[in-house]
Amino acid sequence: MTFSSSYLFSLTTFIYMGAAALYLIHWIFRVKKVGFLATVVTVGGIVIQTVGIGLRWIESYQLGYGHAPLSNLYESLVFFSWVTIVVYLIIEWQVKQRVIGAFATPFASLSMAYASFSPNIEDKIQPLIPALKSNWLIAHVVTCFLGYASFAVACGLGIMYLIKNRFSGASEGIMGVIPDCKILDELIHQTIVFGFLWLTLGIITGAIWANDAWGTYWSWDPKETWSLITWFVYATALHARFVRGWAGRRIAYISIIGFASVMFTYFGVNFLLSGLHSYGAQ
Amino acid sequence: MKASSSTYQDTSIWRFFSSVRLAVFLLIILAITSIVGTVIPQGESLQFYLERFGPGFFRIIKVLHLNDTYHSWWYLILLGLFSTNLVICTLRRLPFTLKLSRRDNLSVDSGRLLKMPFKKDWEIKEELDNDSTQSIISAFKKVAGKFHERSDVDGGRLFLAERGKWSYWGVYGLHGSILIIFVGALVGLFLGFKGSVMLPEGETIDHIVNRQTGEHIPLGFSVRCNRFNISFYDNGAPKEYRSDLTVLNDDKEVFHKSIVVNDPMEYKGVTFYQASYRAIPEVTVQVAKSDTLKRSMTISAFQKALWSEEQLSFGLMQYMPSVHGRPAARIRVGDQEGRSGNFWLLKGNEKEFQRGENLYRISLSNAKQRYLTGLQVKKDPGVWIVWLGCTVLIVGFTVVFWVPHRRMWLWIGRRKGKTVVILSGQTNKNKLQFEKDIRKIEEALNSSLGARQ
Repeated sequence: MTFSSSYLFSLTTFIYMGAAALYLIHWIFRVKKVGFLATVVTVGGIVIQTVGIGLRWIESYQLGYGHAPLSNLYESLVFFSWVTIVVYLIIEWQVKQRVIGAFATPFASLSMAYASFSPNIEDKIQPLIPALKSNWLIAHVVTCFLGYASFAVACGLGIMYLIKNRFSGASEGIMGVIPDCKILDELIHQTIVFGFLWLTLGIITGAIWANDAWGTYWSWDPKETWSLITWFVYATALHARFVRGWAGRRIAYISIIGFASVMFTYFGVNFLLSGLHSYGAQ
Repeated sequence: MKASSSTYQDTSIWRFFSSVRLAVFLLIILAITSIVGTVIPQGESLQFYLERFGPGFFRIIKVLHLNDTYHSWWYLILLGLFSTNLVICTLRRLPFTLKLSRRDNLSVDSGRLLKMPFKKDWEIKEELDNDSTQSIISAFKKVAGKFHERSDVDGGRLFLAERGKWSYWGVYGLHGSILIIFVGALVGLFLGFKGSVMLPEGETIDHIVNRQTGEHIPLGFSVRCNRFNISFYDNGAPKEYRSDLTVLNDDKEVFHKSIVVNDPMEYKGVTFYQASYRAIPEVTVQVAKSDTLKRSMTISAFQKALWSEEQLSFGLMQYMPSVHGRPAARIRVGDQEGRSGNFWLLKGNEKEFQRGENLYRISLSNAKQRYLTGLQVKKDPGVWIVWLGCTVLIVGFTVVFWVPHRRMWLWIGRRKGKTVVILSGQTNKNKLQFEKDIRKIEEALNSSLGARQ
């Protein structure tokens, strides 16, 4: 079967890698047409990936399992890259700055590459264990990953800010095309606000689910605690704007630290710590 | 002298607790210290920590309660400080918010309007007739919405369309929601309980065991497990754990529910969750002393079966579901004097054994798995307060970040023998959308006034 979801996902991996390369070329060599091409390729990628996700959903029904493709590490990585691209495309469309693509699309292509090429990741469709059989599965995963993806983009913007800030004198060349620090600061803030709402909803839906499944909405399980740590970090970013001397560079740093915390919540907890979310490691 | 210095101190403590700087500091400290409990395993025995971390680090763990980090004195102090900061920070904003929400935005003069972030004015030589004035006002209303009017402001008419003035209250909801969640957690802690029970199929229980203290908690009613069932996928992974439960009140069946993971049973505020299970073997043996004196005995693991008339006790020591395709059980037979012996029984085969003078024949007639269902049981009257807090948190957050306070003014008056029209506006959020909207009014006014300038 060539026209399967896994085939489409492999294709997506290469398309996103290509798109990231095109965005980089567009930034470094400042060729307008390459930027346009990068957007076209990215849009093509998201269409193929969306079809892939839909197909995988159908395939799980054909296997008799019948669940949304959001149930293990492989599927979550695919979904993470999907949301990252969606969030990025919305920002590109709103801000009309393709340079951001060079800092945002690599997250999506890395996620797909990890899902596709890592030998430790099971890419087969598996049946749902009893604990995952809940209507809250979709709500919980979707909200969490909307948060994660926004924070990935915010991290990319934070890196841009620090690069731009470092070479603040240069108004020409590859630094010249990076948007102004003031604009980046506002974008970082907006993206964090957006991500924070989804992270909060992700934590709440997780709590409701845990209350349904285990009878405790909060049990200080490492995954829960790390999501709270991430929440604290971004809450810091949102309040730091009101403290003199914290806006700008420090918030850019927080956007990077925050994303590191997201990554640890996502992977670190599964691989390094033990807890209730162990099915995420398979 | 003394009084003033104490007042000064009061205000300085007040100031300390009301600063956003402290909030940022506490958030960072909470983020960092919360890591501890995810790295050090929580809730183990003290012996475990001593063996794992050695005596030096063990002392630190004991003093700082790192075996239960999130309920330790210092973590609770941090959360207490955080709440205090939250309350005082929010209270300090109150006079400011009150001023903002009470401010009469119609009491501005035309000069102030020209200092707004967005402003545009038109000057026309002739006086505006009623129709043109009306068309300007309706163009303003079409985009700006409902408005208030005050006549005789700087000798002209002032119109104000204001939206989202209430949004300044959003931050109180947002911050208050955290406190609501804390209250909900405390209510659950003091008025609720958490426990568990292993309930064999067919048996009834009227109390549960407290998870932390091991105490028995009476339920006030009884619960019977009628049946436990487990099903598997083709690949061997578990598909469903299901317990069929009946609630009894004074031996009367009052409620029934079949529960699975993610679908618990709730009765009188107590919730029963499918948590685990255990399978124990159960065999039935036929014991005969003579052709007329015989008995059928059911023996479960960990339980003795008695034939009291003959003063014999039977126990199940070992069970194998399939020996040469047949179930086999190792049966222990004891008598009054404490003598005992054991032997293997294969289904279909008969065995003889002697106790005192008597000779008995025994055979295995039936063997099956008997299940115990593991239930988590909890009562938490605070959970709805927590959900209320979560709802307020999301609504408050949305208001704080996405509901703008927008003001649009229109002034029509005369100055130095000319008719002057001023359009101005201000918003505290989403300036892009605001500018788009107010430009629409500007364009409409341009087309009706521009030609006459």
